[in-house]
Amino acid sequence: MIRIIHFREKCIGCNACVELAPDRWRMSKKDGKSVLLEGEENRGIYTAVVGDDEFKINHAAARTCPTNVIKVEKMVRKS
Amino acid sequence: MSPAGSWEALSAALHAGADSVYFGVEQLNMRAKSSNNFTVEDLPKIIALCAQHHAKSYITLNTIMYDHDLQLMKTIVDAAKSNGVPAVIASDHAVLMYAKKQGMEIHISTQTNITNIETIEFFSTYADVVVLSRELSLSQVSDIVKEIRRRNICGPSGKLIHVEIFAHGALCMAVSGKCYLSLHTHFSSANRGACIQNCRRDYIVTDKETGYEFEIDNEYIMSAKDLCTIGFLDKIIDAGVEVLKIEGRGRSADYVHTTTTCYKEAVLSITDGTYSEEKVQRWMTELSTVFNRGFWDGYYLGRTIGEWSTSDESLATKRKVYLGKGVNYFAKQKIGQFTIESNQMNVGDEIVVTGPTTGYVHAFVTELRVNDVPAQQALKGDSITIPLAEVIRPSDSIYKLVEVRTANTKPSE
Repeated sequence: MIRIIHFREKCIGCNACVELAPDRWRMSKKDGKSVLLEGEENRGIYTAVVGDDEFKINHAAARTCPTNVIKVEKMVRKS
Repeated sequence: MSPAGSWEALSAALHAGADSVYFGVEQLNMRAKSSNNFTVEDLPKIIALCAQHHAKSYITLNTIMYDHDLQLMKTIVDAAKSNGVPAVIASDHAVLMYAKKQGMEIHISTQTNITNIETIEFFSTYADVVVLSRELSLSQVSDIVKEIRRRNICGPSGKLIHVEIFAHGALCMAVSGKCYLSLHTHFSSANRGACIQNCRRDYIVTDKETGYEFEIDNEYIMSAKDLCTIGFLDKIIDAGVEVLKIEGRGRSADYVHTTTTCYKEAVLSITDGTYSEEKVQRWMTELSTVFNRGFWDGYYLGRTIGEWSTSDESLATKRKVYLGKGVNYFAKQKIGQFTIESNQMNVGDEIVVTGPTTGYVHAFVTELRVNDVPAQQALKGDSITIPLAEVIRPSDSIYKLVEVRTANTKPSE
């Protein structure tokens, strides 16, 4: 599993994450910032735990984000 | 018109006598990434502050707009309207259309790249003020102003269109800021206010056949020097320009204060007939003390094509060194109290205090007391008091200004 973290406040709504990972990101028509689909909010920071198959495109989204507000990390499996 | 990229800068601009300020709200402005933008909730406070100083305030709403931005754009225009913001600065047609419908005054942003009279006629349906393209010569600017008068081109207010130009600050290598470099290399769009400034770096060219590398070491070939028009401001005013804009929403309070003060003085000098070469020299020296990449005339005088910066750093002649925080102000005795958190303060030091309410205060240390005992020097950890004509607050930071040594004489610290 991987964890995607979105520090949403500093998003400038450039649409890059949506272009790269359209199944995980959507632009909000309300405030023009991107939304991490199925993300859970805690103090303005959104987190979603999803399958490994999404790592590549979301990692690309994180690298591409001009304001560096997306983090993607691989979760360590409990033995 | 001065840039306000933070509360400090806003306050500095107003104290320095700016007639108007411009600022971004939320992310739809050309400094979305580099400045600390205000929110819709901040608007009442900004408007009240500006009203106290009899200054107008304008919202920049001038990025390119996508479908998903439209609601936020409308929210910002509505909030601007209900809070009494005099106008929005826009370039995208969606913003023009909506703001017009809402009866919100519009200024056409330089991003629109207006270079001729008929384009002004086109935009006159929407806007009362147009910011001309930064790449025009002064004679072109002057011709445009004359034609506005001759053709009687009026904006929605029924008054003649006002012409605004950039008077001071950073210039972009791309026409009217429409640059793709940052997006191309870093996916970071300049046209969404996230320019990473590729043009301000130095480069190596590689011969693909041999692999030889040539460093382009004589100049930063894409990095334009900063625009400075204070030496021919009389000609700009003669050309009929009514608003002078200072670039720099990404800049600090000291930059905003110094540039605003110099240009305000210059305009007043031209009005009362005391504008002179000596004064220009003095202002140039002042302007050199804050952030700059070296100065040139831009394109207005049309004689020098592209002057490139020789450095990737600011050429400011003075540098701020952090000393500490504000503690208290004793209004009766006109004394400011500070805590020194780093470096040292000496009697004779040139200091500045900046803060969200204070803006920018400049002074020299004439007298210094450490823990209420007269002293020549204060060190880290000391609680100090100094005579200060202006009020300071606990939210303020204090710095000393030191001369910047040139690269050749820089010691290897």
